[in-house]
Amino acid sequence: MSRSTLLSVALALVGFIALWTLVVAVSGFPPFILPPPWQVADRFVRAIMDGTIAPHLWTTLSEVLLGFAAGAGSALVVGYALARSALVERLLSPYLVALQATPILALAPLIALWFGPGLLGKVIICALIVFFPMAIATMVGIRSVDARLLELGRSLRATRRQVLLTLEVPAALPSIFGGMRVGVTLAVVGAIVGEWAGAERGLGVLVNLARGSLFDIPLMFATLLTIALVGIALYLIVVVIERRLVGAR
Amino acid sequence: MTADGAMTADGAMTADGAMTAVPATTPRGAIALDDVRLSFPRRDGGRLEVLGGLDLAIPGGGIVALIGPNGCGKSTLLRVIAGLLPLDGGRATLDGEAIDGPDARIGLVFQEPRLLPWRSAADNITYPLELAGWSVARRTQRMTELTELVALDPGVVGNRPAELSGGTRQRVALARALALQPEVLLLDEPFSALDALTRERFDLELLRLWDRARTTIVLVTHSIAEAILVADRVVVMSPRPGRVVADLPVELPRPRSIADLDAAVVTDTAREIRRHLGDPGDPGDPGDPGEQPDDDRAAPPDDEAVA
Repeated sequence: MSRSTLLSVALALVGFIALWTLVVAVSGFPPFILPPPWQVADRFVRAIMDGTIAPHLWTTLSEVLLGFAAGAGSALVVGYALARSALVERLLSPYLVALQATPILALAPLIALWFGPGLLGKVIICALIVFFPMAIATMVGIRSVDARLLELGRSLRATRRQVLLTLEVPAALPSIFGGMRVGVTLAVVGAIVGEWAGAERGLGVLVNLARGSLFDIPLMFATLLTIALVGIALYLIVVVIERRLVGAR
Repeated sequence: MTADGAMTADGAMTADGAMTAVPATTPRGAIALDDVRLSFPRRDGGRLEVLGGLDLAIPGGGIVALIGPNGCGKSTLLRVIAGLLPLDGGRATLDGEAIDGPDARIGLVFQEPRLLPWRSAADNITYPLELAGWSVARRTQRMTELTELVALDPGVVGNRPAELSGGTRQRVALARALALQPEVLLLDEPFSALDALTRERFDLELLRLWDRARTTIVLVTHSIAEAILVADRVVVMSPRPGRVVADLPVELPRPRSIADLDAAVVTDTAREIRRHLGDPGDPGDPGDPGEQPDDDRAAPPDDEAVA
């Protein structure tokens, strides 16, 4: 990351905290409605140090990573089939659109009912929420592969597998990674929604506990901060991998 | 020639494609087109006839230039020889064997370099070798030979296509087409995007390459000067549906140079080509009839047709 980028990120962070502080000061909200940033920071550090957050964080991370892997993996296959087969597109499109149009919030309780409060249900919810943007991005990416490059592959007698691995996938990578950027952040949303629908552990559960039985609003904000950091970290990991694989073209 | 680029059956070709001795047998890479017919489907359900019973024989080791008006089927014909388009009728053969699909003995250079933007120049050059299953060590060795063969600056082989000049990109494309030591090199207006001086230099380098490898070359061009400078014969095609309307020998001794374009025989040949193209032009000027690129590549040749 360049120095100017780091500086702009730091400035944005300082600006956000300043705005937050200003809102707290001007509005006069009590800490149980809107705690000031330093109180949240203090609670965040304590929750990390005393191990309050860690078990919930690992649970949520497991759900997100497994769900993202399952959703993205299946979306790559389905997206490719959608791009290359008009029949598959005609058969699957209505179901995919219906799935996307149905709010995951509405599906989550049903999935929790079917698969229980354990890991599997959350992974399924994450996978479902990741699937659509990834499948569409893959479909668009594969369809956008330059026909002239495919002709080059034919002229060099590339096999179907070689065309896929050396032409189609590399050419579609920018689009696929666009889908991954969206998908990985949605996976975090899916995990939290899944945990709210029924779970024993996870950052979504901790948010509910902090707001409810513990009535520890700074902890709730600290947990929200953790969720945001998880999303940012995963997004940045995707960006780093994308830069490495796609690079400058 | 074996698939991995080993020596040819007649033992004439070295690893870098140079000839060590004149082959005793007939040079490989003889192309025969017999009553070749090809059409594309049109949106209205009809067929658009692109090649209408074309006959052409190209001896192994020769250089033939195809010239004709836009949309006459020159590039389509090149794709037929490359095995990329199935025929409606007629027969196309390479060394007596029917061409029924892409063949490792045929190398194709497109009008635009068609380099894979995510690969370095070196990886683009060795792409056909990778597809053919060559080991990394052999690919690296062949890449060095090819770099020398096409006079590519070794300092740029690590660069991606976006970092290369137009001329260097076309050199990379040429090296890629030569990677598997083809018997036939098909060139679809490969230098048309280059400026005039660079284009002349590339034409001379092509001749130098041919002098070393004696690969059969079929060059599609819009430039009469280029056709005469490079080819043994200039084949003039009719407007669509493409047929051969003239097959004119170029009586210019080899090796050739740009200065040869001033010879009287060039003027006579250019006049003949223009006459068959139906272009009155300047009878003494062996210049280009037009610099517009041909638009009749794999896609159907005009707006009426659909793929």
